[in-house]
Amino acid sequence: MKKKIVSALMCTALVASMLVGCGSGETNPPADASDAAATDDAAAAEDDAAAAEDSAEADDTEDAEETAEAEVVTNTFGDPNGTHLEMWTFVELHGQHYGKMAADWNAAHPDNTIEITCTTYPYADMHTKLLTALQSGTGAPDICDVEVGQFPNVVEGLDTWLVPLNDYAADYLDTMVPARMETYQGSDGNYYGAPYHVGATVMYYNVAAMAEAMGISEDEVTAKIDAVVTWEDYEALGKEYIDAIGQDGKYFTSVDTAGTDWLWLAMAEYGDDWTGGFEGPANVQLESVQKMLEMQQSWLDSGIAEVSPDGHVDLEAGFQNIMDHNIVSFPKAMWYMSRFTNYMPEEKGNWYIAKCPVFEEGQKMSVGIGGTGTVVTQQSAAKELAAEFVCWAKMSEEGEQNIWDLLGFDVCNTACWSMDSFAHNDENIYNSYFRNYPYDVLNEIGLNNIGKISVVAISPTINEYVCNTTLNEVLEDKMNVADALQELQDAVDLEQ
Amino acid sequence: MTAVENKASKQGKAKKTIGTILGTGFFAILCAIIIFPVFAGLLASFRPGTELIRRGLSINLDFSTMNLNNYTYLFSGNADSQKYFMWYKNSLIITIVSVVLTLFICYFIAYGLSMYNFKGKNLLFFLVIATMMVPFEILMLPLYKEVIALKLIDTYTGVIIIGLCNASTIFFFRQFLSGLPKELLDAARIDGATEYGIATKIILPLAKPAFASMGILQAMGTWNAILWPLLVLKGANKFTLPIGLNTLLTPYGNNYDVLIAGSMFGILPIFIIFLIFQKYIIEGMTAGAVKG
Amino acid sequence: MKVKKFFYSQKVAPYIFVVPFVLSFLIFWIYPLISSITMSFQDIGAVSSEWIGFKNYTKLLKDKVFITAICNSAKYMFFTLVLLIPFPMLFAVLMDSRLVKAKGVWKAVLYMPALTSVVISGTLFRLMFTEYPTGQMNIITQALGLGTFKWLKMGWSGMLALLVVACWRWTGVNMLYFLSGLKSIDSSLYEAAEIDGASSWQKFRYVTLPLLKPTTVYVLTISIYAGLSMFLESYMLWAGNNSPNNIGLTIVGYLYKRGIEKNDMGYGCAVGVVLMVIALAINIVQLIANGTFKNKED
Repeated sequence: MKKKIVSALMCTALVASMLVGCGSGETNPPADASDAAATDDAAAAEDDAAAAEDSAEADDTEDAEETAEAEVVTNTFGDPNGTHLEMWTFVELHGQHYGKMAADWNAAHPDNTIEITCTTYPYADMHTKLLTALQSGTGAPDICDVEVGQFPNVVEGLDTWLVPLNDYAADYLDTMVPARMETYQGSDGNYYGAPYHVGATVMYYNVAAMAEAMGISEDEVTAKIDAVVTWEDYEALGKEYIDAIGQDGKYFTSVDTAGTDWLWLAMAEYGDDWTGGFEGPANVQLESVQKMLEMQQSWLDSGIAEVSPDGHVDLEAGFQNIMDHNIVSFPKAMWYMSRFTNYMPEEKGNWYIAKCPVFEEGQKMSVGIGGTGTVVTQQSAAKELAAEFVCWAKMSEEGEQNIWDLLGFDVCNTACWSMDSFAHNDENIYNSYFRNYPYDVLNEIGLNNIGKISVVAISPTINEYVCNTTLNEVLEDKMNVADALQELQDAVDLEQ
Repeated sequence: MTAVENKASKQGKAKKTIGTILGTGFFAILCAIIIFPVFAGLLASFRPGTELIRRGLSINLDFSTMNLNNYTYLFSGNADSQKYFMWYKNSLIITIVSVVLTLFICYFIAYGLSMYNFKGKNLLFFLVIATMMVPFEILMLPLYKEVIALKLIDTYTGVIIIGLCNASTIFFFRQFLSGLPKELLDAARIDGATEYGIATKIILPLAKPAFASMGILQAMGTWNAILWPLLVLKGANKFTLPIGLNTLLTPYGNNYDVLIAGSMFGILPIFIIFLIFQKYIIEGMTAGAVKG
Repeated sequence: MKVKKFFYSQKVAPYIFVVPFVLSFLIFWIYPLISSITMSFQDIGAVSSEWIGFKNYTKLLKDKVFITAICNSAKYMFFTLVLLIPFPMLFAVLMDSRLVKAKGVWKAVLYMPALTSVVISGTLFRLMFTEYPTGQMNIITQALGLGTFKWLKMGWSGMLALLVVACWRWTGVNMLYFLSGLKSIDSSLYEAAEIDGASSWQKFRYVTLPLLKPTTVYVLTISIYAGLSMFLESYMLWAGNNSPNNIGLTIVGYLYKRGIEKNDMGYGCAVGVVLMVIALAINIVQLIANGTFKNKED
């Protein structure tokens, strides 16, 4: 029996190892996996075997990937003799950004080179792992990406856990969007995270669909969109569109039951912040929030808006809804551009980006949403170098150029915004996807009109209750807004 | 219930044939329902990821949108493909080692718990049950510190070791073994067999069905485990398949192309393990063995 | 020689057999558990922790969201017990009979869902239960003339979705347990019953059912805990730990939310300890009632 089971397992192992194209039947866990050279060899061997196995397919699969080669497997970049830095992220492209920046850094600093290993972890688990490592005092990387929603947990350790970046960012601070730097501040006022992007909220419009429905030219639609200043204007345009197309499942926009973007925008316009910052206390019974929710209720009644399928526009059904042209406008941060290019290639050339409407003229018209701050941990053996490198890779012109080209973000260094070679490069896929240049919109909004909502310890509590309960009550069940906000406030008060 | 009633009725062939049709037909329908999501996933794996978003989980056999691109990408030998197969290999190593060790360790523990009467037996059994009832999430942080102290961090040993005495596997073996007649032991002792000889040579072969089903289950659990391997392992070189596939789901958007094709292909090894093991489940006890 | 005799004696052998468990228990279980219980009486800060007595527990009692989570988990556990014990048992008996052809195929198919990672099956079911008209559930209800539903936004249909995923994943596995349990039944007992003229139902009732009891007890025990501690299915179905009006929130989901997402490990551990106490209490009562602690000879 024992023999049979063992032999059965051996068979499986054999079949499987043939599948992985590794005929040698490695049974020992490779203890030397950190040794880059050894793994490169193994990877190359695997590569050969795999290539031999499916040579037929390998022929017609292309080109550029060949150049990537084995070293990408380890995700180690830069000079093997340089100082070694370890970096964790949850988006593989972020790692590639640092890889590219490491090569550039080494070219510019031949006497102080670095080698960086970027490891991509699953999103939620990376933050768990980081916190576990920080709490137990060992095992954290030198550099780590932290999603803004998780930032309060990580920044709680202040300078016992993280390295303040103030001195290293000093060179760039003049032109960095201040709201974004403040997002990653600790309660002691130090900057602990370097931002990737502003995440400025803008309004996306499907000009092609609107023109077709309204029977006017696309330029006329664009002119109408540009003329929208207030939410009243926006609503009027919506009515015009709905009247032209007839209802039948078509709406001007969709309102979210599982996302707070609309509410953040409203707060930014009035200069409110429901968290109350580090000092608190959180107060969610704000006029801005109430106005926005009541306006959305009236839109649902008049048929201008529907409730977003799946609760927001950034999930499968949300994309479907956009591609079916069931909605033709919505506000979302600039990073949503990559959703268009990734998931909705067929919509290329249809969409126009414009600034968001405001309640009263003269208000701020955007808010920074989402984001990822890169931190340097105190566990790093090369803190100064790591911090200097992070700030350079995230804030310098070289860094920003790569962030825009590779990641498609609206960068935080405003010096780049008006540079023609940067903002109007037609080879950039985002520039060519949309009808107008995204950075033109950003310049039009202007640095001072991008508001900021704090992300602090109470934020997850508010966010959770709003998304799970309040928005469903208000938008699905048509509950009175003031009552729903009172309930929310009670729930939040329990936690503070 | 009609099918069961029919089971042993010896009233003519016609009735038996109807029973066979009903019984087989029942499983055919059940399986058709069960297979649906897998089938839909399989179809999706032959389509570009954008198609999944465009039309949802469509089961139309529209061959114009289907191609092998996701799989050729997976097998192309490029960076993503190399990573994928490295994760695959790591998962295989961890799964095979931990399944073999866990099965034998748990079998002997359960053998001790079910075949003897000794002091503290009920306490031990209670503890086995108790260890099953604690959510892993709260043990995670202390265990992590412990694994660091034992210098097992970033090793496969660290991943495997904490699951070797799997309580539910012990419990299953214990339940299975307690169903076996104890006369077997006495008969063997009279024949001069040692205690350990009985455990390995007489009872173990009888426990084939339990070994087989636990083998399948253990393989499945290890193959799909994510949280603990992720905490212990550090570099992308050591990742297991589920960790790797999870990196494709990000707040910045999901890479459906590789995710679905990779997951579908990832079913294969445990499916092979299943096919190997499941025939031992059928090999039941023979009347002779009991009387032995 | 004496030493060998000592280790080979019938008195000592059982202790040798259980040594690995005792070791693993002491090293990998008792220490972490004690630290977790200690943490549940603390306010775990980033840098230092503070002893706060029973505060975490008294707060739990007042926590409405936690009560919702317990109710959801209990409901889910109850329905999974009802659906995932009798039916797989019957399927196993049927599968074991001579009435089914091509058994290998059916078993392979029934087991397939459990092999699929939750990540992918969660995504597939999310797409099937989407409120968008392209979801399979809505295609069915539209064909029946009932229109479309927002499946994942209402309490009853959210629970339904969770149960569909549970049945889909675990029917095959539970059937597998019962199948191997059936194999430990001595076939001569059936022959004897047949000689006594027992009907099929009588054989099932008086031979299969009692002799399958160890397996049934096992499935019951693990299902109770699995039901109470379900989390991943919900997490995948709602693409995260947030569901409308918390209809998909479970105890472990709440533990995760507080302990990990909000990094309040003290409170999270208190949630975990409560879960352990509930699950252990139910199971010990159930096991004693089923006589599992009794020795066969007694």
